[in-house]
Amino acid sequence: MSIGIAPPAVQAAPRPGRSLWSDAWRRLRRNRMAVGSAVFLLVLGAVAALAPWLPGLADPAAQDLALGATPPSPAHWFGTDELGRDLFSRVLHGGRISLLVGLVGTFVSLVVGVTWGAIAGYVGGRVDDVMMRVVDVLYALPYIFLVILLLVFFSKSLVMLFVALGLVQWLTMARIVRGQVLSLKQQTFVEAARGLGASGAAIVFRHLVPNTLGPVIVYTTLTVPAVILQEAFLSFLGLGVQPPDASWGTLVSDGARALALFPWLVTFPGLAMSLTLLAFNFLGDGLRDALDPKGRRDSS
Amino acid sequence: MRALLPWLLICATLSSCAPAGDGGVVSEGRRWFGSLTPPVGQVFRFNLGTEPELRDPGVMGGQPDGRFARMVFEGLTVNDARTLEPLPGQARAWTISPDGLVYTFHMRPGLVWSDGTPLTAHDFVWSWRRVLAPETAARNASLLYPIRGAEAFNKGESDGSDLGLAAPDDSTFVVTLGHPTAYFLFLTTYYVFMPVPRHVIERHGVRWTLPANLVGNGAFRWTFWRQNDRYEFVPSPTYWDRAHVRLERVIAYTVDDLNTSSNLYKSGATDWNPSGYIPSPWLAYMKPYADYRTDRYQGTYFYSFNTTRAPFDDVRVRRALMLAVDRETIARDLLKGSREPWGRITPAGYPGYEGPPQVGYDPERARALLAQAGYPEGRGFPRVSLLFNTSEDHRRIAEAIQAMWKRDLGITVELSNQEWGSYLQATQALRYDIARRSWIGDYLDPNTFLQMLMGGDGNNRTGWSDPRYDALLREAARTLEPAQRLRMLAEAEALALDAAVFLPIYHYSTTELVKPWVRGLHPTVLDVHPLRHVWIDHDWRRNLEARP
Amino acid sequence: MIAFILRRVLLMVPTLLVIATLTFVMMRLAPGGPFMSDKEMPARAKQELMQRYGLDRPLHEQYLAFLGNAVRLEFGPSYKYPDREVRDIIVQGFVVSAELGGWAMLVALVFGVPFGVLAAVRQNRPEDFAIMTLALAGVSVPAFVLGPVLVLVFALTLTWFPAALWTGPESRVLPVLALSVAYIAYIARLTRAGMLEVLQQDYIRTARAKGLRERAVVLGHALQLGVLPVVSYLGPAAARILMGSIVIEQIFAVPGLGRYLVIGAINRDYTLVLGVVLFYATFLMVLNLLVDLAYQRLDPRVELA
Repeated sequence: MSIGIAPPAVQAAPRPGRSLWSDAWRRLRRNRMAVGSAVFLLVLGAVAALAPWLPGLADPAAQDLALGATPPSPAHWFGTDELGRDLFSRVLHGGRISLLVGLVGTFVSLVVGVTWGAIAGYVGGRVDDVMMRVVDVLYALPYIFLVILLLVFFSKSLVMLFVALGLVQWLTMARIVRGQVLSLKQQTFVEAARGLGASGAAIVFRHLVPNTLGPVIVYTTLTVPAVILQEAFLSFLGLGVQPPDASWGTLVSDGARALALFPWLVTFPGLAMSLTLLAFNFLGDGLRDALDPKGRRDSS
Repeated sequence: MRALLPWLLICATLSSCAPAGDGGVVSEGRRWFGSLTPPVGQVFRFNLGTEPELRDPGVMGGQPDGRFARMVFEGLTVNDARTLEPLPGQARAWTISPDGLVYTFHMRPGLVWSDGTPLTAHDFVWSWRRVLAPETAARNASLLYPIRGAEAFNKGESDGSDLGLAAPDDSTFVVTLGHPTAYFLFLTTYYVFMPVPRHVIERHGVRWTLPANLVGNGAFRWTFWRQNDRYEFVPSPTYWDRAHVRLERVIAYTVDDLNTSSNLYKSGATDWNPSGYIPSPWLAYMKPYADYRTDRYQGTYFYSFNTTRAPFDDVRVRRALMLAVDRETIARDLLKGSREPWGRITPAGYPGYEGPPQVGYDPERARALLAQAGYPEGRGFPRVSLLFNTSEDHRRIAEAIQAMWKRDLGITVELSNQEWGSYLQATQALRYDIARRSWIGDYLDPNTFLQMLMGGDGNNRTGWSDPRYDALLREAARTLEPAQRLRMLAEAEALALDAAVFLPIYHYSTTELVKPWVRGLHPTVLDVHPLRHVWIDHDWRRNLEARP
Repeated sequence: MIAFILRRVLLMVPTLLVIATLTFVMMRLAPGGPFMSDKEMPARAKQELMQRYGLDRPLHEQYLAFLGNAVRLEFGPSYKYPDREVRDIIVQGFVVSAELGGWAMLVALVFGVPFGVLAAVRQNRPEDFAIMTLALAGVSVPAFVLGPVLVLVFALTLTWFPAALWTGPESRVLPVLALSVAYIAYIARLTRAGMLEVLQQDYIRTARAKGLRERAVVLGHALQLGVLPVVSYLGPAAARILMGSIVIEQIFAVPGLGRYLVIGAINRDYTLVLGVVLFYATFLMVLNLLVDLAYQRLDPRVELA
């Protein structure tokens, strides 16, 4: 096989990255699903962030014990919980922490996981051994103690929540990227790039990583609900949101407890979570297509 | 959009299958919760609850552990199935000396362990002594403290040679108390007082409680075990009252999840869902079912203040917070009447005990007290937090009380939940402001609650102590006249309530589900259920009409 | 190859040592201890137990003793269940978890991979949309919601399967289903993504150009590399799924291993936690080694340095 058939990435390589990014941006803008999803996420994020100041929105902590749990009604669109609080307002407010957590988890998974995995896979040998053993160790450590200790040594805060999530969210991603890179690095276009004198870093980040984007983006979008639910587990341990505040994760897991009695309590936060996943998914697919070095895929 | 479908489907499915929505099974003019297919033969299936930790009756401490012990072992006395009053067990009779100090138990003739080894009064001497021996590390050894010399021996202060336990012959067991104890006979029904097989323990050590090794003397013999799955039993052929045990097999599942436990009952896989295993949101909807039973349970749910920390070192602040809790509303609206609002430390139902009047809800006085303490309208009140171990039930109550304090006192209390280990450590080390607590009595006497607030008691966990309180309790322990003793205890409780160290919230209830064919199983105030007389009534439909 | 395996197995020793040490340190730093309870244990009894289990000795001595025990695979008795050896608890739980997890893994692969391949081949057609919709649904409904719903519908309403308990073969159906759904979804999506990458590679085009049938191209050539992301994912995923899930075990009353990591940690049952963690770590590393071997099998260009 000659260099001529190698993917366009190699030809693009010597050129500065700007046109790659502006190309990608142009392609992304043409993808209606992706743009729609991005707009949806932005609106949802804005509404959640501004929830405390939105006029007409009930106080998410205002109780009406005599009312208790009621199904959706014109007064309470999503119904009320067992303390008689308006679920619509709680879901909107809960989006603040959940969207934030989803973003941070995704970001860590993407940045740390991809970098770690790509380097381990590309360099190989001892470096790979050590880097992958670090991943194994973090996998195997009892997470519950990690979190308990974070709570013991640091005061509870948003930063600690992100640290707790960040510690583990990138591990599987690192393994997936490493696996892809192991296979890709022997391919002709990599050898070609190496032959053209590209540096290790350039090969990893300009040639290898873009070619792993498919699985990477799929795994990243799948991470979003996992992270949102993980926040609920952290709340269980005392990190995460504190009552009377709630997040989608805690709302779903509380709702699951009384699932047969008050199905709306699990359904609405669950829907919010699914919608977000869906949007992330379309956006992810769009991004992948836009950034695809081969650039000839349709959106899916 | 299609990804949303499952959630809508779930909502639709749930709405149609919800237990509150369905009418249950209607039979014999009553509504029943779930399946009405009885087991085949005399087989009794129930949920034992969380996996027992210890199966050695002398050492154990938990509810499921005790339930296991009461099947496989038997003490000198056994509980009446309804009143829990002590009845002859391994002892056929007993006498109590006029000064209330010497109990002489006469053993039944021909008692044997399940391996055929004879069981005598000496076994009791050995077993009780073992519970008290410090190296046994028995959790409930203090229940034996009324026995002469027991406390000193258990605390390692004596060698136990003066212990008030003796077996003049194989069939006579004499117990001498250090001071008269009104409830001592009742104590002997407790599992700590059950005999354990010396010959087996000396051979197998701590592993004597594995199924291959265990030897008991109770109505049932343990035949099968799988951790976190189930225990199986058959009637013990060597039991003295074998003729009256009608069950042929007992299957006790160890299911710790409340929803799962209730689902098993509903699906007909179990015949009895014991108290504490119905998820709390369901309780409000259980009343119409004929197989739902609820009654008072000897326990209270309360908050405790850390009196070593400002602002709770000020009794006015504590009182203000106590008076600003609307217990009625919590019990009625939030807990849907499944619990009784309660305004004192000791629960109801102690024979002869008249506790102090319960504290009520008085926001006016609460505000006044808080203002006196220097926080008018809650201004300047420091940041404090309310600690509870993670549980949805604790959280709901904490959220409700948090809102009440905010509304009535203008103070903001932060909620802080921790997992069990951290929570325990924080309460023991007094690293908290306000903490959720609860207490279940061990025996039918207010002392089982009031002991806790003695200065320096390991369960105090408030930093509060009052010499007058301690003196009253000590004096009561020495008092022979029952009415006078109980008056002293009531005085002590009034003192503690006035100091507002504990903030009582509700009284526990037993909440259980029993299939209509189960006979001989009755609700009791200690949630103790002798299973020896249980049987399956296959003619239950006809007999139901005869019953009230 | 043999050298590679040998080196990786040798590497497991220091890794396990690091894991054991960190776990030991973390547990001891965590507040509370194994003999704390709601009702305070008498001081003398507590002291007695601390002594019995050597918890009163200096921490470094305890650490060395623990390492010595771990090497001999003797973790000692659980603190919570003193008549049971940690080893027995692990074995008993693992047998159950591995059976449940094995079925779930099988179901996840049997459905996930073909669905993923089909979706990739039929990219942007109705089949693709249907499969990916299902997959997204599978990911977004957590097991603690799906489990109770399955019980409500199939056990309590339709009464096709038992509501819980680990008894006959029919008792496996609902927990396997509840456990595998999320994994089916992950595997299907990863397979599809991997296949889409591969289907555009030169050698696939070459194969097509040579006139091979599409079926042969997809199954004979592309699938091998297309499942690489799934294989990477399977290492940790299989470890997790076979070790059991506390959520599934509680909902269906399955006597598996999954609960001990969380419950043991909450009870500060030091021996039990250490035993389970080391068992899990070994298991995970063996699986990851198998994954690395599988890479080479699937893609002979991969060098196992």
